[in-house]
Amino acid sequence: MADAVRKRILIVDDASLVRLYYRSALEGAGFAIDEALNGLEALEKLLVASPDLLLVDVNMPKMDGFSFLKALRRQEGRASSTPALVMSTEAAPQDREAARAAGANFYLVKPVPQDILVDCAAMLCGLPR
Amino acid sequence: MIELPSLTAAEFRRLCDFLYRRTGIAVADNKRYYVERRVRDRMIATGTTSFAAYFVGLRGNADGEIEKFVNSFTVNETYFYREDQMLRCLSTELLHRAIAAKAGTGPLRIWSIPCSSGEEPYSIAIWLLENWPQVDDYDIEIVGSDIDTRILEEARSGIYGPRALMRLSPQVIAKYFEPLAEDRWRLIADLRQSVQFSQANVIEAAETRPHGRFDVIFCRNMLIYFDDASRRVAAENLYECLMPGGYICLSQTESMSRISPLFEVCRFADAVVYRRPIAGGHG
Amino acid sequence: MPLIRKGSGPPASPASVDRDATMTALRAGTREERWDAARALAMFPEAAAALGEALSTEADQLVREAICTALVRINSADSVDAILPHLRSDDANLRTDALDALKAMPVAAQARFQSLLRDPDPDVRILGWDLVRETGSADATRRLAAILDAENEVNVCAAAIEALAEIGAAEALPALTRCAERFPDQPFLSFAAKAACERIGSQAPRPHD
Repeated sequence: MADAVRKRILIVDDASLVRLYYRSALEGAGFAIDEALNGLEALEKLLVASPDLLLVDVNMPKMDGFSFLKALRRQEGRASSTPALVMSTEAAPQDREAARAAGANFYLVKPVPQDILVDCAAMLCGLPR
Repeated sequence: MIELPSLTAAEFRRLCDFLYRRTGIAVADNKRYYVERRVRDRMIATGTTSFAAYFVGLRGNADGEIEKFVNSFTVNETYFYREDQMLRCLSTELLHRAIAAKAGTGPLRIWSIPCSSGEEPYSIAIWLLENWPQVDDYDIEIVGSDIDTRILEEARSGIYGPRALMRLSPQVIAKYFEPLAEDRWRLIADLRQSVQFSQANVIEAAETRPHGRFDVIFCRNMLIYFDDASRRVAAENLYECLMPGGYICLSQTESMSRISPLFEVCRFADAVVYRRPIAGGHG
Repeated sequence: MPLIRKGSGPPASPASVDRDATMTALRAGTREERWDAARALAMFPEAAAALGEALSTEADQLVREAICTALVRINSADSVDAILPHLRSDDANLRTDALDALKAMPVAAQARFQSLLRDPDPDVRILGWDLVRETGSADATRRLAAILDAENEVNVCAAAIEALAEIGAAEALPALTRCAERFPDQPFLSFAAKAACERIGSQAPRPHD
C-alpha cells in the first residue's frame, strides 16, 4: 500500500503481546498501526485521530470493549462511526449479539489466526482482496 | 565515550505503556526523540548500559527512579502563562459553559492546586483581565493551594525573577508588575489581592472539602507522581470540589482516564479537559 | 479592577464521623449520602467486610468507585478478601472495578495470587494473571512457571505468558517454551512465548547487592 493511502488501524487490547501479534501481521500487510491499552485510552486517542478500523478486545481493565463501543457510538463526530472488529474469548451466539448491540461490525473469537485477522481487516477497511 | 543505543520501536512503546499505566502521562509519537534523550540521561545516571536493564530498574522503582524519570521528563520550571493554550481554553470555552451549568448566582470560582509559587493562579487572573470580554460581568474568586507553606509565602509576596516573566509581553509586565530591584519584579497590590492562598493536601478530604466547590480546577503535573491509591483519593476529592458541569484541567501530556472514570472527557480546539457530569453521571 | 476579589476564608473543620450512622447511610442513603459514607468508612478498617457486601448491591458507578477506593485505602487482608468474590461477578464493570482495586493493593493482594491462579474458573485465573502482571515480582518466577506448566486453557496460558514477559526472570524460559509446545495448533502462543523469551533474555542479569 502506498503511504498516502495506507489504512490506519487502532488496536485496543490490554495485552502487549496480543497487540504485538496483531501489529506484526497487519504492518506486514501494509497497514499503519496505533495502540491503546484500554477503552478509556482509546476514547482519548480518538479525540485526535481518525483510524479506518478499530480492533477491540472485549476484556480490558478501566473500560471494557463493550462499554468503550457504546460510549463511542453515542458520540458525535467522524470517529464515532469507525468500523469495529471485536475480539472475544466467548463463542456463544448471545455474545455475538451483545457485541452487535454494543456497536461492533464484526466479531472474531480469540485466539485469532493472523491470516484471518488480515483478511477481515482488509474487508472492513473496504480494500479489494 | 560509549554510544548508547537508541530505542527500538517496541522498546519505545513498552516504555510509553508503562508511563501511561503508572503515571497517566500520554506521550505523543512525535516526542520519541525527546523521550530517548531522557532515557539516555537516566541510563547514564543509573549506570545501566541497555534499555532492558534500565527498564527493569524503572519498573521496580529502584531508588525512586520513576519520580526521577518523570522529573526529567516534565518541564518543572514554573512561569507565567505556561501552557497558555489552557488559559485560552478557559476564556473561550470553559467559563461560558460553566456559567450556563451553574444553578446559583455565586461567584465564578477557580482553583489552582498545586499553586506552587503562584505563577499559575496569578496568570489566570491576568489572562482573564486581558482576554476575557466578560471579566467585568462576573465576580471571580481565584484560590491557590499547595501542601508547602513556604512556597505559599513566596506566592503571597508576589515577587518574581526574569525567567518567570519570560512569556509575558512588556505591556503586560508594565501593567501588572512594579520593578523592585535589578532582576526582581513585584505584582501590583490589586493583583496580589485577587488570589487567596491556602494550604491543602489534595489527598486529605478534610483539607480539600472546606474549600467548597469550584467551577474550574487546574491540577497540573501533580497526579503523575502519585501511586494508584493516592490518585484515586485525589480524583475523588477533586470531584467533590467541582460544581456539576465544572471542569478540571490537567497538563497537556496527562491523562485523567488513567486515574478515574468519574469525569467526562471534553475536547476543545486548544485543549482536552475533564468535566464533572451535570446530573446522574455514570450509573 | 472592580470584580476580581478575595473570598472569605475556609470554614471550620468537619465534625467527627459517626460510624454506625455512616454504615446505615452506605446502604440506605441517597446517591450523595452513599458516596460520602463510602469515603468516610475508609477510616475504619473494621468496615472492610461491610464495604465488600455493599459492592454486591450498589448499582451506581460513582458510589462503587468510592467503595473500592475506601477498600484500597484500608489496604488490609480483610479488604482484599472483601473484593475477591467480585472477580466472579456477572457484571463486567464490577469485575473490572474489583481487579483495579486489587491492583492498587499490590502487597496485600500477593497472599492471594496462588489461589487465584489455581481457581477452577478460567476467567478468574485470567484475572489472576493480569494482577500478577501488574503487581508481581521476578522473585516469584519459579512458582509462577510451575503454575504455567499445569495450565491447559489456551487463553489463560496467553495471560500467563503476558505476565511472565512483563515480570519474569530467566527461570521462566523453559516453561514458556514448553507451553508453546503443548499447543502446536495455536500460533499465537508460539509467537507470544518467543516474544516473551526475547524480552526476558534481553534484560541484563540482576546486579548483586
